[in-house]
Amino acid sequence: MTTALPSRPASSPALPGLDSATLTSLKKLTQYYAVTAFLALMIGVLLGPLQALNYGGINVYDYPLLKVLIRSYYQGLTLHGVLNALVFTQFFISGWMLYLPARDLNVRPNMRFAWFTYLTMTAGLLTAAVPLLMNDATVLYTFYPPLEGSPVFYIGAAVMVAASLLVAGQVVWLWLAWKRAHPGRVTPVVTYMSVATWLMWIVAALGLVAEVVFMLIPWSLGLTRGVDPLLARTLFWWTGHPIVYFWLLPAYISWYAFLPRQAGGRMASEGLTRLAFAMFLVFSVPVGLHHQYADPNVQNSWKVIHMFLTFLVAVPSLLTAFSAAASLEDAARAQGGRGLIGWVRRLPWRNAGMTAQVLAMVSFIFGGAGGIVNASMAFAPVVHNTAWIPGHFHITVGTATTLTFMGVMFWLVPHLTGKRLFSPRLALASVWWWFGGMMLFALGMHWQGLAGVPRRAQVSASAQQAAYDGMNIALPKLLTALSGGVLFVAAILFYTVLIRTLLSPRQDDPESTPIPTSEAISPAGPTLREASLLVRRTEPLLALTFAALVLVILVYGPVIAPMLANYQFIPGQRLW
Amino acid sequence: MSGADPAPRLDHHTLERYETAWLGVAVVMTVLLFAGVIASLISGTYPLLGAGTGHAHEGPIVKGRVDPARLAATPFAKPGLVVDRAGQPVLNDRGTLDAYLVAGGFTFQPAALRVPAGVPVTLHVTATDVVHGFQVTGTNVNVEILPGHVASLTVTFRHPGEQHVICNEYCGAGHHNMITRFIVEAPRETP
Repeated sequence: MTTALPSRPASSPALPGLDSATLTSLKKLTQYYAVTAFLALMIGVLLGPLQALNYGGINVYDYPLLKVLIRSYYQGLTLHGVLNALVFTQFFISGWMLYLPARDLNVRPNMRFAWFTYLTMTAGLLTAAVPLLMNDATVLYTFYPPLEGSPVFYIGAAVMVAASLLVAGQVVWLWLAWKRAHPGRVTPVVTYMSVATWLMWIVAALGLVAEVVFMLIPWSLGLTRGVDPLLARTLFWWTGHPIVYFWLLPAYISWYAFLPRQAGGRMASEGLTRLAFAMFLVFSVPVGLHHQYADPNVQNSWKVIHMFLTFLVAVPSLLTAFSAAASLEDAARAQGGRGLIGWVRRLPWRNAGMTAQVLAMVSFIFGGAGGIVNASMAFAPVVHNTAWIPGHFHITVGTATTLTFMGVMFWLVPHLTGKRLFSPRLALASVWWWFGGMMLFALGMHWQGLAGVPRRAQVSASAQQAAYDGMNIALPKLLTALSGGVLFVAAILFYTVLIRTLLSPRQDDPESTPIPTSEAISPAGPTLREASLLVRRTEPLLALTFAALVLVILVYGPVIAPMLANYQFIPGQRLW
Repeated sequence: MSGADPAPRLDHHTLERYETAWLGVAVVMTVLLFAGVIASLISGTYPLLGAGTGHAHEGPIVKGRVDPARLAATPFAKPGLVVDRAGQPVLNDRGTLDAYLVAGGFTFQPAALRVPAGVPVTLHVTATDVVHGFQVTGTNVNVEILPGHVASLTVTFRHPGEQHVICNEYCGAGHHNMITRFIVEAPRETP
C-alpha cells in the first residue's frame, strides 16, 4: 500500500517529518485508540436504556437473567458512567489529539513510546474492569469516599489516567521540537488547539492524581485509617470540572477546524479561535467549587470566586458558538443560502458527519445554558444532585462531545484505513436518532429534576413512592423511558455502520479521504512578526499554562489548607 | 435564484466587527449574570451554608468537624429540635431554633422532623457512615452530608405542611429508600 505523504514540507533536517512507515503505524495506533473507545462506549450505551427505564418508573434490575450479569442498578450505573464518561472519552481523545498535531506539524512521533502509552492505558482499563465487573467497586464514577472500592479499581484507574498524561507529554514534546526548529513561526491552529487542551489537562489532572495516589490507594490498601471525604471531593472536583472541557475541547477542534470545510465553507477567525483556547487553558481549572456549593466547611467567599471564574469560562464557549455559526453561515451562503435564518437549509444535511456536528452544537446550546444554571449559587440548590444533572450532561458530553466523535468517525475511519463508510444513509439516520433520543431524555430528566427527583437513585424500586406521588411527573417519566428506546435504536444503527465499515475490505488509498482542514476567513499568517496582536499574545502556551497553575494555586490553596489542617480520618464502608 | 448575483462572501473586516461586538455581548452577559447571583445572595433568596468557623458549637464539634464515632457526646445524640425541659423549642443566642439531624444506614434521624412555620431554624446535619444528601422537596434546601463534617444552615419555612427529605447523594444499596418526612407545623404560641 502506498501512502501519500502530506503536502506540508518535511520540517527541517534536524526534525524528521513523517515517513510512510511511521504514518502507517500512527494511523494504526489512532485506529486502536478510536476502536477501543467505541467498544467501551458500546457496552456503556447498551446499559443506558436500563437507566432510562428506571427513571421511567420501570425496574428491570430484578429480572433473573440480568441479575446474573449485573448485581444491581448501582453496578449497572457505575459501568455506564465509567465506560462512557471516562473510558470512551479518554481513549478517543488520546488517539485524536496525538494524531492531529503529528499530522498538522508533520513531525515524527516516537512510535514505540506512543504504542507503549496505548498499551499502558489499556492495561489500566482492564485492571479497573475486573473489580467493576465483580461488583467490588460499585462507587460510581465520582467514587466519593468513604464508600470504599477495591484497591485494584483505584490502581487501574490511576494507570489509565497516567497514560493520558504520557500522551499529553508526547504531544507537548513534539510541539516544542517543532517550535525549536521553526523560530518565529506561528503554531498551526490545529496543533495550537490540541496543545492548549493537553496543557489544560495536565494542570487539571493534578487534583485527581493527588486524590487517588495520596488518599485512595493507600487507604484502600489498609495503610491509612481513613480519608477526609471533603478533601477527597475537593481534589476530585479540581479535576472533575475541567475534565468536561477535556471532553469538549477535542470536539471544538473539529467544530473550528474541520466542520467548516465539511459544510463547504471556511473557518471564521484563527485569532478568535486561539483566544478561546487560551481562555480555556487559563480558566478551565480554578472553577471546581461550583460542584461543591452544597458542601459544608468551605468558605462562601471562595465558592463565589469559583463561580465568577466559572462564568468566565462561558465566554470562550460563547466565542465558539459565534465562530461555528459564522463558518456554517459562510458555507451555506456560498451555496446560495439566503435569508436571516433560511440559509440553514443550504447546509449539506445529507452528510452524516456534518449533520452529527451541527446537531451536537444545537444540543450544546441547551447544555451550555443549563450549565450556567448549575454554576450559579442561586439556582444550584434547586437542581443540585437531582435528575436535572444527568439530563444536563447527556446533552453536553453525551451529545455535544459524543455525537461529534461519532460524526468524526465517519471520515476518520476511511482516512485511517482506506475502507469505505458503510451506508451513509444509515449513518445519517443514526445521528438523528441519537439527537432525538438525547433531547427526549434531557427533557424528561431536567423536568423530573425540577420536580425534586434525585439523580443516581433506583427510584423505580423505592419503597417510599409517597415522596414521588405528589410531584406530578407522569409525563417526564414517560419521555425518559421512551428516550431509552430511541437511543437503543440509535446505537444499533450507529454500531451497524461502524462495525460493517471496520470489517469491510480496504478499497481506497486512505489519504484520498483527507483530514478536512479548513481555510480561515481571518488567518493567522505564518510568522509571528506578521501576525495580529491577538495571535502573538496567545502563542506562548507554556507561559499561559504557568498562569493557569498560579491561578489554581491561588484559588485552591486557601480552600485546601484548612482541610489539611483539620483532616478527618473517616474509615471506609462498603454499603452496596 | 438563477441570474441573481451570488451573495458577497464574508470578508475579514466585517467578520472582525461582528466578532468584537459579540465578545462585548458575551462579557456583558457574564457580568450581568454574576451581578444577578450576587444580588440574590445579598437578598438571601437561598440559604447559605455556614463555613466551619461560622457556627459556634460546644464540645467535640470543632471548626465544623466532628468524629462520627463520638456523636454521643454531641447534640447529635438527641436528633431533632432542641427543646427545653417543658418540651418547648429553645431559641439560641442568634435568635433561631436549632435542629440536629443524623444521616446513616439509609435512614435519617429523627424519622420525621417537626419544625414550626415562620420561625428561623438552624439545621445541623452530619453523617455516621458515608456521604449522603439532604434535599427538602419543594424548597431550595439541598446539602451534602459528609461524615466527619457538620453542615449548618438557617432556613425559615413559611407554610405549614409536609415535605419529604430525600437523600440525593449515592450512598449504597439502600440509597433509593432513604427518604423521610419533614413536617412544618402551624406556629403555636411564639416562644
